[in-house]
Amino acid sequence: MTADVINLTLKDQLKVLVRLLKYTVPFKGLLILAFSMLVISTVMGVMTPYLVMIFIDNYLTPSIFPEDEIMWLIIAFITVNVIAVLTTYWQIYLLQRLAFKVIQQLRIDAFEKIGKLGMTYFDKVPSGSVVSRLTNDTQAIVDMFTSVLGTFLMAIFMVISSFVMMFILDVKLAFIALIFMPVIVFILLTYRKYSARYFSQARSLLSDMNAKLAESIEGMKIIQVFNQEKRLRKEFAVINEEHYQYNIRTIKLDGLLLRPAIDMIYILSIVVILSYFGFLSFETSVTAGVIFAFIQYMERFFEPINQVSQNLNIFQQALVAASRVFTLLDENRHEPAQAADKNQEITNGCVEFKDVTFSYDGKNNVLKNISFTVPPGTTTALVGHTGSGKSSIINLMMRFYEFEHGSIEIDGHSIKTLPKEEMKKNIGLVLQDPFIFYGTPASNIKLYHSEMTFEQVKRAAEFVSADSFINKLPRGYDEKVVEKGADFSSGERQLLAFARTMATDPKILILDEATANIDSSTEEKIQASLMKMRSGRTTLAIAHRLSTIQDADEILVLNKGEIVERGKHDELVQLKGIYYKMYKLQNSQQ
Amino acid sequence: MRVFKKLGWFFKLEKKSYLIGLLMLGLVALMELVPPQVIGRVIDLITTDTLTSNTLILFGVMLIIVAVLTYIFRFFWRIMIFGASNRLGLTLREQLFKKYSSMSPSFFGKRRTGDLMAHATNDINAVQMTAGAGILTIADSVITGGAVLITMALTVSPKLTLIAMIPLPFMVILTSWYGTILSRLFRVAQAAFSSLNDKTQESIAGIKVTKTFGYENEDLKDFADLSDDVVNKNLKVAKVDALFDPTITAIIAISYFLSIFFGARMVIADEITLGQLVTFTTYLGMMVWPLLALGWFFNLIERGKASYERIEDIMNTASDIDDGVTTDRLPSGNITFDIDRFAFPGEDEVSLSDIHFTLKEGETLGIVGHTGSGKSSLIRLLLREFDTADNNTVRVNDIDIKQYDIKKLRHLFGYVPQDNFLFSTSIKNNIAFTDPDINIEAVYRAADLSYIHEDILSFPEGYETVVGERGVSLSGGQKQRISIARALIQDPEILILDDSLSAVDAETETAILKNIEENRSGKTNIITAHRMSAVRNADLILVMENGRIIERGTHESLTQDQGWYYDTFKAQSLRQHLVKDLDETLERGDRNDS
Repeated sequence: MTADVINLTLKDQLKVLVRLLKYTVPFKGLLILAFSMLVISTVMGVMTPYLVMIFIDNYLTPSIFPEDEIMWLIIAFITVNVIAVLTTYWQIYLLQRLAFKVIQQLRIDAFEKIGKLGMTYFDKVPSGSVVSRLTNDTQAIVDMFTSVLGTFLMAIFMVISSFVMMFILDVKLAFIALIFMPVIVFILLTYRKYSARYFSQARSLLSDMNAKLAESIEGMKIIQVFNQEKRLRKEFAVINEEHYQYNIRTIKLDGLLLRPAIDMIYILSIVVILSYFGFLSFETSVTAGVIFAFIQYMERFFEPINQVSQNLNIFQQALVAASRVFTLLDENRHEPAQAADKNQEITNGCVEFKDVTFSYDGKNNVLKNISFTVPPGTTTALVGHTGSGKSSIINLMMRFYEFEHGSIEIDGHSIKTLPKEEMKKNIGLVLQDPFIFYGTPASNIKLYHSEMTFEQVKRAAEFVSADSFINKLPRGYDEKVVEKGADFSSGERQLLAFARTMATDPKILILDEATANIDSSTEEKIQASLMKMRSGRTTLAIAHRLSTIQDADEILVLNKGEIVERGKHDELVQLKGIYYKMYKLQNSQQ
Repeated sequence: MRVFKKLGWFFKLEKKSYLIGLLMLGLVALMELVPPQVIGRVIDLITTDTLTSNTLILFGVMLIIVAVLTYIFRFFWRIMIFGASNRLGLTLREQLFKKYSSMSPSFFGKRRTGDLMAHATNDINAVQMTAGAGILTIADSVITGGAVLITMALTVSPKLTLIAMIPLPFMVILTSWYGTILSRLFRVAQAAFSSLNDKTQESIAGIKVTKTFGYENEDLKDFADLSDDVVNKNLKVAKVDALFDPTITAIIAISYFLSIFFGARMVIADEITLGQLVTFTTYLGMMVWPLLALGWFFNLIERGKASYERIEDIMNTASDIDDGVTTDRLPSGNITFDIDRFAFPGEDEVSLSDIHFTLKEGETLGIVGHTGSGKSSLIRLLLREFDTADNNTVRVNDIDIKQYDIKKLRHLFGYVPQDNFLFSTSIKNNIAFTDPDINIEAVYRAADLSYIHEDILSFPEGYETVVGERGVSLSGGQKQRISIARALIQDPEILILDDSLSAVDAETETAILKNIEENRSGKTNIITAHRMSAVRNADLILVMENGRIIERGTHESLTQDQGWYYDTFKAQSLRQHLVKDLDETLERGDRNDS
């Protein structure tokens, strides 16, 4: 978990920020609208003290109250405030809207990217972290847009508009007030420097502490049986204490440099204003309204700075999150590309491997010079131990991985040039672990196939004998399926996956037989269904139970990436080689 | 407020921090009252032309002192109050960890790790917030709010104060109303977000299926729709959320308007001075935060209360291993099981019945049978993960194991569990789990005995190689052997191998068992296994089925009986022979394709 704590350099932060801001470009209209609202609300905000100043200096001090002029002043006050209230509302809302639009786009881009990535990526990156990129990290960016960019923009406008008003009121004092600017910038930069360090350390300690806790809960049985509770408690206490110390450091840092410091400077600025006007009053006349307005503007200048400083940490976290999302978007482990030739199509379904050699890591070949042909409508079975290369053959056939040496052809066309749609339409794969989606049995058979009717779904289920168990469900085809189909037995999940594949009526069938234990009555159904599915289709089947493929037209025995035996069942038994030994071994189990 | 009472023990403990912290907060409130007064006075002196440079300097120095003092007081109340609340987090986390480590497996069986984690993270955070920000908000509302209000009334005008305050309650009412709507909308938005999360998780888990059928675009569309839903629901939240700031602005503006309108009249009527009016409006601005804090406070303590109750609930759960220690003797000697029937707590199904046998000290017991036959249940009873009812006993040296101190009892065992859980630390620390300071020679020896030494040396960092997600991934057999080393290193009186050799090959199994036999003379071993070869040399073999002992004896006597044990042993031997033959053929890389 520590690896998640990334410290970005200032330059990287800037790059990430710019790239993030580019996402707002398509929503120019929204951005401009939000921006104008912000400008209007800020301008209206600085009007109030000005109006009060006019009232104090022109009417209250001299004690003259011409009714119509006062009326106008009141109307102006009300108008300014009503506009300020309305524009503030819209500015906040529109900025949030913009943030969500940006995130929406970012999420879609990231998800689309995931669809394009090859299995090499998913082999390496744990699925939990990919999910986290798409959801939690993008959510962190929303926070940045709403609470950071919003506050930042508002702060900038407030600071500028307050200064403009100060310059209008008194140029000299405004210049004097400017000296507080570098002081504040210095404080914020110092804060940023130390807080970034403490903050990331505190965060990594927190994640270490939580990891330790989670692991202790999971391994509690071992801890107890070995009488190690005391030691683990002590270890936990150490990291707990360390985390506490870092928090205290953060509190001290916040106390030294955030609100207390900024507020102290604010009071000092009042000293400056009062002294300035006080000494000025000895020479010329100074009005109460100007002093009042100046102090108001000074306050408006400091408040946004307080808010910004409190949001600096969110900002840094969000940039780290954004950089992780961008890393995903820049990922280049794509799925194999198709050099599609639109004229090529699959007609008979003749599969041919020609001298295929393949390696996952570029070093160890898991397939060596594999050549075989599966004539249309026949079944070829792949047999071998784990690691013999059976699954790799299917991975290549399905274009999950790219290969360099040799060629794989269907009806004489290389699978690298056949159009993707043509491949998907004609090749049906049944995975070893049948993945069941959230939804219903019907939706799991149909998936996203738009033209498939319910009749077709039912027919597919009947074809593979999945209908009997589906019909027994209280709501039949519309029964809610819990996560990963946990309520179904592994055999039932198999049947559902069969139906899913058969519903598309593929010419070529790729079967990766399940190794899971399946109760014998379902097992019979599965065997019968497999027979039916295979008849008339070109089939490439991985078999773990040799009994299921005894009738195959050809059996290939693989060992260490090579085909070491090939032939029909009887021939291979007579050969008394590996196949025979495997066969005998499996028979001894029964 | 009940949560404060419940946390009374902690406030008492941190009395000093809280008292000093609150004192500092009070002083800050007093200090904050000064600048508006000074501003008003200076304005009055200027407008009446009575300002002298001496008074001006005096005021200036006064404000500078106030500024510095405020800074100091502000800094210290943070250290005091936030420091104390962090110590509460520290303490609670430690207590919770202690509690977890004293709970029996049935406690963990009933609760998910995620929930237990949530108590130690989110719940403790919420309680910590109550003791920190909660105290702060209420103190701020009462002290600052009260002080400002009183000063407005005393130094300017009670009448004007009353008028200016009229709109402010509406602010509290409106913002807390928004708060209620918001929390409802937020839950809806949160639910949408979690379905997006589920969707993403599913899409990634099922990526092969999607790619196989070529439904990437349809899946993307589905995702985009869900994501749209998240956006729309969040925008609903935003619509209400955006109301807070304008509402506060509007109400303050009304209050402001009222003060200036009526204040001006009072200035003309000479009831107050112009400077006092300016002071008054500045104070008005200082009332916003205490009022908002009040709303926030109730929210905080509500969450804190719910969280603290959940933590209390855990802390008050009694461990179901009843520690009825009646003997201070060290457990050792023969182990006797006398169980007529046993069912796990909360379950109707009987897990064990008619289990009666004695294992003599220094002998080896083998237990075989199918999965679910009750082998592990026997072990779990012996380890006191669960307790038997009174008339059924597990005894060591003829004393019910319930009467021993559980620590002393556990000290007897070197246990190798079925799921061979390893910690994500170095292999050395995993093996030296019971004694991290043990010399490395002992670690090597234990690894050697369990046949894992060579494997460990082949890893890039040897014994320092880290296990688990962050380190090397080990095979099932390697994990099992490290678990065995972990149990062997303490040379336990009773070694328990609970189906711990299932993932190692037959030769390694034989070698490990031989090592155990040679190095543990006079000590007791209990081995459960699927493979009969693992218990072949045991002094007593029990064959279990459906929670009963169906055969018992030694390898020789059971072979003569020609029952389940004999059949299985024969079949397994044959199979083992075939496996060996096949493996050798595969290793040689024979080719028969021509």
